[in-house]
Amino acid sequence: MAEKHGHKHAPMVEEISDFEALEIAVRELAIEKGLFTAEDHRKFTEFAEHIGPTPAGRLVAKAWLDPKYKKLCLEDGIKASLAVGVDWLKPTGFGTPSDYTDLRVLEDTPTLHHVVVCTLCSCYPRPILGFQPEWYRIPNYRRRLVRWPRQVLAEFGLVLPPEVEVRVEDSNQKCRFIVMPMRPAGTEGWTEDQLTEIMTRDCLIGVTLPKPGTTTNLKLPLHRAVNPAHH
Amino acid sequence: MTASGNKDTLAGMAADESNWTPVPLLEDIKERGRVWEDLARQYGVTNPDPPWKTSLEGICEALAASSCSSATALERGWLDGSVDRNGVGAAAPLPGLERRWEEDELSETLYRDVPFPERQLLALVHSLIKRGLVKEEDLARRMDEVLQRLHSA
Repeated sequence: MAEKHGHKHAPMVEEISDFEALEIAVRELAIEKGLFTAEDHRKFTEFAEHIGPTPAGRLVAKAWLDPKYKKLCLEDGIKASLAVGVDWLKPTGFGTPSDYTDLRVLEDTPTLHHVVVCTLCSCYPRPILGFQPEWYRIPNYRRRLVRWPRQVLAEFGLVLPPEVEVRVEDSNQKCRFIVMPMRPAGTEGWTEDQLTEIMTRDCLIGVTLPKPGTTTNLKLPLHRAVNPAHH
Repeated sequence: MTASGNKDTLAGMAADESNWTPVPLLEDIKERGRVWEDLARQYGVTNPDPPWKTSLEGICEALAASSCSSATALERGWLDGSVDRNGVGAAAPLPGLERRWEEDELSETLYRDVPFPERQLLALVHSLIKRGLVKEEDLARRMDEVLQRLHSA
């Protein structure tokens, strides 16, 4: 990579792929044909640029530290989200893109573990958790989780003892979920920021548990569904 | 028709479309297009997603929103049997649920060997072409223009 004026530039892709050109071309034609406006596209893209899993992680971390806030989370996820900067009634700041207005926070206990799916498509609490991982979108996870939750969780490395009930929550157009796991041992005296760091996206979906020292998500090999998509 | 009846119709409709007709332009792109995974590796870029991914999400959201909540209500009405399919189509050029189900179908058939999110982009464009919302020849022409423009600096 070229260096200029003593500064080292971050690496960048120095060619334009056909996929990049296709995205631009289809967007321009759609706007010209009036399928949507350039202004709307810009606003939705800005929304896509700034969402991520941090607010949801912070919500759980705050709840671990503040019993009153935890109660609010469990009673009214929408109101509790305001404390971490997410307004579900106006997630984009200009209107709800997908009509989702209900967030439920699912509390794990020593005998109950929650995990989230959308069996119909890929509904996900995007304003507070960002974009779905690829595995969450594909039929293989969506179909198998409801049939064999323990086995699918084990594929993520989460093996739960038989005395722990596994509850699968199915998201839909109106209702989205995040999981509030139990605070792990070894985090005594931690700050909200430290606790937020270990609340990864995977913990919030419920396919893993928070652990001191673990701040990244698992990258799993993807498997195709054997049957047709709507089998 | 009952709610379950229409859900069956929906699933049946998607199943009927398992024989997706390839779109030559998209087949070309599928064959010769360089995916982000390869480009990022070659140029030493660590960003897991291509820079156009958020714009693609913007397109999907804008398409869903352009028919706004009326279409969402119509989709719901379609599922519970109070609205027929033409009613949904008229209000929403590409209803969100149909787009996602077609993406599922196409991801397991025509575009099964293409990584994500390139696969999501191909599926979206396929759905638009299939409905006549975008013409393949217009798209090919526009892609040439876009490439010329981007290479003109």
